Amino acid sequence: MKELEKLRELLAEFYAAPYRGAVARARRDEDDLFMLFVYAETMGVPNPATYYTLELQPLLLERFHDWHLRIGMEHSPLDHFRCC
Amino acid sequence: MLQELLAHHLVFVGGKGGVGKTTVAAAVALAGADRGRRCLLVSTDPAHSLGDIFEREVGAEPRQLESGLWGLEVDPDAEAARHIDAVKAQMKALVHPRLYDEIDRQLDLARYAPGAVEAALLERIAALMGEAGAGYDTVVFDTAPSGHTVRLLSLPEVMGAWMDGLLRRRERAGRLSSALKHLGGGRVQGDDLSLIDAARDQPPDSRDARIHDRLQARRRTFLVARERLVDAGTTAFLLVVNTDKLSILESRRVAGLLDRFDVGVWGVVVNRVLPEEADGAFLEARRAQERVYRTEIDRAFADLPRVSVPLLDSDVRGAAALRRIGSLLES
Repeated sequence: MKELEKLRELLAEFYAAPYRGAVARARRDEDDLFMLFVYAETMGVPNPATYYTLELQPLLLERFHDWHLRIGMEHSPLDHFRCC
Repeated sequence: MLQELLAHHLVFVGGKGGVGKTTVAAAVALAGADRGRRCLLVSTDPAHSLGDIFEREVGAEPRQLESGLWGLEVDPDAEAARHIDAVKAQMKALVHPRLYDEIDRQLDLARYAPGAVEAALLERIAALMGEAGAGYDTVVFDTAPSGHTVRLLSLPEVMGAWMDGLLRRRERAGRLSSALKHLGGGRVQGDDLSLIDAARDQPPDSRDARIHDRLQARRRTFLVARERLVDAGTTAFLLVVNTDKLSILESRRVAGLLDRFDVGVWGVVVNRVLPEEADGAFLEARRAQERVYRTEIDRAFADLPRVSVPLLDSDVRGAAALRRIGSLLES
């Protein structure tokens, strides 16, 4: 019985794993796009809602480092805001 | 004219700079207060002059000016500073103290960024618009010269659309997260960055929820402001015009722009018309000129209620003078 349970789990894993990667990537892409919206103005892209998205920046601050690495910038793209 | 005008919860008074917007707005608000309505008079013009008209200090918070009448002068710089300071405090709670200077520097720049003061002003106006029908029966806005006003009216729509866009992204991200959970993403440590992210965030859901709540609250404010603005039963836009070419041109332009944002002009006040009893050859010549412009105004705003207020022999200062204007608006 135990073996059967284990087999079931393995099979589920076998089918789910490839999708998990794809969904996780899609979710990350969403997050990256959102970061871009929130930090757009600091990078020179006009954002009509900067004043209001400003209050979201603290909430996203801890993700900022991973984000700028991921979009291919080795250091923080903001001259006046060095996170690393 | 006053009776129907004061049936609205929100009255915006607009027009070219110097046509007498503040005087008309103050007279309307005072007339409302005299009729037993609780009225709030709000000046949004950066060059405030409510204090001069009521001959007393008016601040950024409502202050009683007459029985039933409160007044305030919005200070957008102070509003923006307060907003930015709140963000600063939140950021500082999250980072190492060595980064405090960086945060101050970045956010001080944001305070002077184009649009920051306007956004602060809009936020305050939207909040005050919510007061109408709640804390006050009528809120009368003495607006800044018209270009500015129209932009303020258009902002709720633009901002609302932006917030909508951001919210949709958040909701999509949320759906992907729950899909991930069903696929066993919570149990297994994948090599994917966002799985690591999710595991590290303390706790992951509460932060997403906070982002979502903030966006939602903003969107609601703009949505409510916009709804009230376009509802002709709630909001009346009063144009003040003088009998001169530029002021008429400007007013027509404003009416056209307002129309584009589905805000109709409710009525027109023709201010500083030469009184009949003024005599002399010079004034006679001016009057002939004025007749041309009055015809032009009548033609341009033919389907709107119009009322003329004559040029007075002295400055409008204090409640008695405002009541005099009020009785002239009555007709």
